[in-house]
Amino acid sequence: MKECRQPQRMAACLGAGLLLASGLLLLFGTSVGSTGFESVLNAWSDPLAWQIVLDIRLPRSLGAWTAGALLGLAGAVAQGLFRNPLADPYLLGSASGASLGVALALVFFGVSPLATHWLVRLGLTGAAFAGAVVAVLLTLVLAQGVQHTLRLLLAGVIVGVVLGALASLTMLLAPEVLQAMQAFMLGSTGLVGWSACVLMVVVWLLCMGVAWLLSQGLDALSLGEATAASLGLPLTQLRAALVLVLALATGTAVAQTGMIAFVGLAAPHLVRSVAKTTHGRLIWLSSLSGGVLLLGADTLARWLIAPQELPVGVLTAILGGGYLLWLMRRNTRASAGTVL
Amino acid sequence: MKGALPVGAVQAHGIRASLGQQEILHGIDLTLQRACWTSIVGPNGAGKSTLLKVLAHLLPYSGVVTLLGQPLATLPARLRAQQLAWLGQSETSAEDLTVWDVAMLGRLPYQPWLGAPSAADATAVEQALRATQAWDWRARTLGQLSGGERQRVLLARALAVQAQVLLMDEPLANLDPPHQADWLGLVRQLVREGKTVVSVLHEISMALHADEMLILHEGQITHQGACADAATHRALEAVFDHRIAIYALGEQWVALPMEDDARVAR
Amino acid sequence: MNNRFFKLLLVLLAWGALTCAALAQPPQRIVSLLPALTETVCALGQCQRLVGVDRYSNYPASVRALPHVGGGLDPNIEAIVALKPDLVLSATSARLGERLQALGIQTLALEPKNHADVQRVLAQIGQILGVSTAANVWRGIDAELSTQARKLPATAKKMRVYFEVDSALYGASEASFIGETLKRLGLKNIVPARLGPFPKLNPEYVVRAQPDLIMVGEQNYASMAVRPGWADLQAIKAGRICVFNAAQMDAMVRPGPRMVEAAHLMVQCVQGLLNRQVERDPNEPSGSAP
Repeated sequence: MKECRQPQRMAACLGAGLLLASGLLLLFGTSVGSTGFESVLNAWSDPLAWQIVLDIRLPRSLGAWTAGALLGLAGAVAQGLFRNPLADPYLLGSASGASLGVALALVFFGVSPLATHWLVRLGLTGAAFAGAVVAVLLTLVLAQGVQHTLRLLLAGVIVGVVLGALASLTMLLAPEVLQAMQAFMLGSTGLVGWSACVLMVVVWLLCMGVAWLLSQGLDALSLGEATAASLGLPLTQLRAALVLVLALATGTAVAQTGMIAFVGLAAPHLVRSVAKTTHGRLIWLSSLSGGVLLLGADTLARWLIAPQELPVGVLTAILGGGYLLWLMRRNTRASAGTVL
Repeated sequence: MKGALPVGAVQAHGIRASLGQQEILHGIDLTLQRACWTSIVGPNGAGKSTLLKVLAHLLPYSGVVTLLGQPLATLPARLRAQQLAWLGQSETSAEDLTVWDVAMLGRLPYQPWLGAPSAADATAVEQALRATQAWDWRARTLGQLSGGERQRVLLARALAVQAQVLLMDEPLANLDPPHQADWLGLVRQLVREGKTVVSVLHEISMALHADEMLILHEGQITHQGACADAATHRALEAVFDHRIAIYALGEQWVALPMEDDARVAR
Repeated sequence: MNNRFFKLLLVLLAWGALTCAALAQPPQRIVSLLPALTETVCALGQCQRLVGVDRYSNYPASVRALPHVGGGLDPNIEAIVALKPDLVLSATSARLGERLQALGIQTLALEPKNHADVQRVLAQIGQILGVSTAANVWRGIDAELSTQARKLPATAKKMRVYFEVDSALYGASEASFIGETLKRLGLKNIVPARLGPFPKLNPEYVVRAQPDLIMVGEQNYASMAVRPGWADLQAIKAGRICVFNAAQMDAMVRPGPRMVEAAHLMVQCVQGLLNRQVERDPNEPSGSAP
């Protein structure tokens, strides 16, 4: 444990700690729910309890971890790409796009539930994902490619605001979808089954692989765009690939669990507060800490007022925000000079 | 001076470059020799940084820039990055990277996508860090260093590239006099090894230590010549509106700003 | 060729057998996630088959004792599964259909939106539950609505009603089921069908239309008088407002078998107002329009 104090070992120790926390939380997550711990105890004898633990709680917990991992990864990529510690994965308008997709799908479901067969098959999950991807594409078109990071950022904000307004308009014109939209906006892991879990894991591995390949590029970008270009990096392709990773990871997470705020923003900061590393290790650690954050929040959401559930988004804000607040106070008191 | 020697290290013909709507460089022709240190000087807004970026192929321009005989536009990016190192005015946000990591980034043009740093990379980084006296704090992060220390690390990053041509924009920013002297020694060593160094410096006295001087005024070259030449000195005084005066001090030349009444007296 | 035909026949037979098997055994344990559907099941006399409801289902009183499994749109999957249901009834806008199917639980998504829907849903649920009372129940509802309509005098039939659903100014138009109930009772609606079922209205619209009667819930009534320009509304000045409490609004708002109760409440209110008017001035014509 003492070696963990050294800066070089800090990252490895953090990674090990996060993995351990993930395992513990996973165990805890499968033991809490509306039927309590008895389900776990009876799992061997009672097939219903077995189904509850294996088919409901386990994929839900794993899904929460994976969604958090996707958001944490996206957050690290966004902050590296835009070189801004306040960047979060929803910056390119993907959140608003997903909301609009879900709102439109709900309206059309109401209009003729049987007629739009392909829409039914796509489901709200597919609609959310499609909305997120379309929003990012719109941002790219508006920014005329990925040449200028600032223009990309601005275009993302514009698309986010406009699509958000359109989603609000849809909700106003068809007020019957208001409640369903609210359920989506608050975010929940309640509907994550094994197939959704597997999908998220596959996407996570894919995005992680690509981001890890590009992590040195992110490091070079942090030296300045001109310097990165002078080192021979193909900036356009690099940015395009990073934007793609961002869109894919965020779209998948939002489609499955709704809009859970703060995980993408807070996860990289949580890592940086403990261990300062290159992007190669930051994206792994940020992903892990995002997973732990969301899994922890989800478990608490199910446990605190069982058999009822709290909305997950509230708990991620409280947990993540609370930790960051404590960090800030500790930093200002120590006045070490390093900004959060 | 056009094409007087067989192949200049860097040659430029008819360079025009704009920033936004405004044209900054209006038709630049120049040849920079190998194993030579050229410093570019001029008043604020003359286009010095822009010219350096154009020579480093970092800005869009019309005209041709050749590097060791080959046009930059046709050179593959990695090859260009291996032969040309650029050090710009600080725009880093890399607070969390260690000194070693930053210097290692200079080896990016040589590393494959998936490769770990090779022994050659490690040697180059060590050499660069020792040359800038930053070796002792290779484990510290950039965020923990002062402005001058940070500048030395960024310089080491540029040195680690081991490129034939080094383009440096305000490399002395935040450096105290002893380290400015170190930098001078470093540049002379590089020139002795046959490298080409181009620097943009606003400290005229430091710029006068170079071999050649390029004077830029309102986007055009008004003079190119040896730093020891009297013609260069006169051109220098002229471009600054005679608000500076150049004096000999032993082997070197120094430029001192002149107040109005002193100018009249002179 | 023959081979393929036989395979198809086998598949059809198997599907038929499975469907018959499914139909042969009507569901005995039902979880309902929409209050309107809960009320429909109970109207068909099958309340005893309900094992779980959502937190908003509160009628009849017996369902309040049943375990709650979350809301209609944020249901607790685990709680639903723990009740071992044969069938889960939900609204069409809920996402849980696929999830429950994956867990092996049959779901049926229905969301009645108007009178015709209520009849259709009654028939559908009746068929699934294996009871034949659906048609009778609907006939009863229909007859009761006609009876309530006859209770209103001719003068009442000229009244133009504004039914407020939400204080952000959403009204119920002729196209909504509330509007259909009003039409059955013979009352007019100031909001035409072409605006959609629950349009968001400009407050000016209501003031200009000068409704003869306002129907509103308790919660929204509080803010009504202070709305700019609304104090001048004839209906407000004359007190021709029907205010319904939360429990009564539940009956009004849910498109289900309780629309009879809704109609009854409306008729009661209108009759009360007309009587009051007669007491005040027997000579003054009631239901006057400006």
